[in-house]
Amino acid sequence: MKVEIKDLSYVYPSQDCALRGVSLVMEGTTPVAIVGQNGAGKTTLVKHLNGLLRPTSGQVLIDGVDINTHTTAQWSRKVGYVFQNPDDQLFLESVRKEFEFGPKHMGMRKEEIGERVEYVSNLVGLADQLDTHPFDLTSTQKRFCTIGIIMMMNPDLILFDEPTCGQDAQGIRRLRKIIQELRNQGKLCITISHDMRFVAENFKRIIVMKKGEAILDDDIEKVFARTETLKQCFITPPPITRVAQGADLKKTPFTGKAFMEAFEEERERRICQM
Amino acid sequence: MGKTILEVKDFSFTYNQAINKVLDHVNFRVDRGSFFCIIGANGSGKSTLCNSLVGLIPHYFSGEMEGGIRVDGMDVRKSSIGELSQKIGLVFQNPFNQLSYTAGTVAEELAYGLGNRGVPGKVMQEKIEHMAQLMRIDDVLSKNPTELSGGQVQRVALGSVFILDPEILVLDECTTQLDPLGAEEIFEIVKKINGSGVTVIVVDHDMERVASYADEVLVLSGGRAVKIGSPRSVFTDPELEQYGVNPPEYVKISDMLRKKGYTNRETAITEDQSIQMVKEALKG
Amino acid sequence: MEMSNDFVPKNTIIEKMNPNTKLLAIISLGISTLIFPNPALGLGVLIFLFVVSCIAKIQKTFLKVVLGFGIPITVMLLFIQGLYSPKNKTIIADLGFAQMGLEGVLYALKIVVTLLVFLGAFLLMNKTTHISNLVAALTDLGLPNKAGYLVLATLNVVPQMQKRMSVIRQSQEARGVETQGGLFNRIKAYIPLLGPVILSSLIDMQERGMTLETRGFGINGVRRTTYVKATRSPMDKPLNVILILFLLIVLILTLLMKFGIL
Repeated sequence: MKVEIKDLSYVYPSQDCALRGVSLVMEGTTPVAIVGQNGAGKTTLVKHLNGLLRPTSGQVLIDGVDINTHTTAQWSRKVGYVFQNPDDQLFLESVRKEFEFGPKHMGMRKEEIGERVEYVSNLVGLADQLDTHPFDLTSTQKRFCTIGIIMMMNPDLILFDEPTCGQDAQGIRRLRKIIQELRNQGKLCITISHDMRFVAENFKRIIVMKKGEAILDDDIEKVFARTETLKQCFITPPPITRVAQGADLKKTPFTGKAFMEAFEEERERRICQM
Repeated sequence: MGKTILEVKDFSFTYNQAINKVLDHVNFRVDRGSFFCIIGANGSGKSTLCNSLVGLIPHYFSGEMEGGIRVDGMDVRKSSIGELSQKIGLVFQNPFNQLSYTAGTVAEELAYGLGNRGVPGKVMQEKIEHMAQLMRIDDVLSKNPTELSGGQVQRVALGSVFILDPEILVLDECTTQLDPLGAEEIFEIVKKINGSGVTVIVVDHDMERVASYADEVLVLSGGRAVKIGSPRSVFTDPELEQYGVNPPEYVKISDMLRKKGYTNRETAITEDQSIQMVKEALKG
Repeated sequence: MEMSNDFVPKNTIIEKMNPNTKLLAIISLGISTLIFPNPALGLGVLIFLFVVSCIAKIQKTFLKVVLGFGIPITVMLLFIQGLYSPKNKTIIADLGFAQMGLEGVLYALKIVVTLLVFLGAFLLMNKTTHISNLVAALTDLGLPNKAGYLVLATLNVVPQMQKRMSVIRQSQEARGVETQGGLFNRIKAYIPLLGPVILSSLIDMQERGMTLETRGFGINGVRRTTYVKATRSPMDKPLNVILILFLLIVLILTLLMKFGIL
């Protein structure tokens, strides 16, 4: 899977300019996180990747094919988009029917649909709820249901918009598992998130957006080292990183293990100096 | 004026047509002027509890209720939501559903609750200007609230409750649509309001934030109040993860440092404490 | 879209009038047209409304809505009532397959002008009144909170629903539902829209109710106030008198005609 965004600009009908010349390439299976202030253009950018929005100028290519050549419904086989509000995406009378809807539409074989229902429902934790009406699910389960319906269609690229919104510890662990699983299956996953702890634990590459531009695009260590730039974008690094920065450790860790390494390195350096 | 402003006594609630109790014999007190946080996994009953505190339960949502809640001496069961609203305000998660839908502009949205109390126009104007500055929405005062972004509407929703000067503020996950610094900013405002004597009750999933702001923390699990105490006592409880709550990352840092013998200080639960601890440990 | 409250200030004397005067005008002119047996009165009122729309500088919208709605409905009603009304006695035209009766034609015209007077007057009120102004005026009247809410929420909820529909449509497209293309495709696409729209509206309504209640919706015994003061104009008082007199005169005339005195 290869996503190329070339000098993309988007102006809303209200004349608000939401994207100003964004150029990015996302390739392979390394999950990418997009972060930034409210109104920075994150959702607008992602909506161009399945054609929900069409470029005002510039170009979006999915595996070399211009986004404008197909409708969103046609792109849905290749690009899955999980919306922020699950209530907007569910409309059938049981979780099973929700799961089967997309694949049936695509003409997937019956046996394959059955197999995928089992696999996906286990992954998203709804195996026991297949006959439940989506309306009777809790808000967390609804969110996993929408993730499930998109995974059912087996797209090569999955877009998540604020998946951690309102999730508890268990939900966040499950999301982590899903993102890993998608990667193992060779899928590319692009996620918008405000939750920096979640971002740090799950993503290697971070894109920071500000006022319609992608101002940083780099490895997580390098991005979280740019504290001043991040602050201007209303982003704060995750807690572990902040402690490391506060204590002047030389490296920028974002996991417990990396923190201890950075700590011990610094400690040794100081002991040597003495 | 007593020390306790809010008392939940042996409170249970079952929604109509539901089998299980959403809240199961919950007991706790909140001190006047404190910053009180409620944490727990999804489905543990946090929102139901918030709705009970402001009288939406049992007056708006019906069901079977046992025990009682007293808000500054008022019995929630016997007082109307309108009466209670003069003491206690609630902001909940979805900001778009917290618009009155009778207001053509943000300024009127802020004025709605004041109007219901018959606050005269001049006082209204002053309060609106002050609140708009505090919430940083002064540039959208004349816009239609339905045209704003989620983050902005969340600020409007908070502002339209803060403006009513409640003695108790209940905030049920009300910063989910804000970017990290935006959420931080809201918490700073809430802290300031709290500093002026308002009791604050907050539901939040961000444990680092809870640890740095709360005076007291209540843990709900399966509708029961399983733990209550200072942030330190709650977050250093080894059983915490059983209740579906991860302690702040700072606790992890303390544990690691202690395990390797780099420190013997008590567990740090906030950023500042952690930085302090790491700096000392670096000195050896 | 034409009926939603997209008020654009044009700084006319109609805008400066108190919204309650406009409400009274809808009621007075509408009911007069409704009760008066002859469509001529309604026609006159319609011409008057058109003049008002010129003063309010919205004559284009006014004509578009009134004619856009009026012409098809007139044709339809003339056809049904004119040709097939049991009241028909006087034949005014013979079409071969059916005959057109005067009574049916008059009846059809009366229904049409009544509808158009209500529609036109409402349109004028809506297009020349900011929603906030209307709230303030209704509050001044001492209208119960619940009744006022019903009116305003209905007006305000439409744009929100439209926004919601478009989000839901997008999310369906992302699930492979084709919403573009031919008519059949678009109709088919509307079916999966209905479920989430209805369900989410229910949730919204419940939460919105919570919001209102906790912000003192149910407080009793207090004279409510509003942020915006309702506009007033020196014309309000005389106009109110004229509108009430007009209704009374029409009422008396109608009664006199009914009893055969006139």
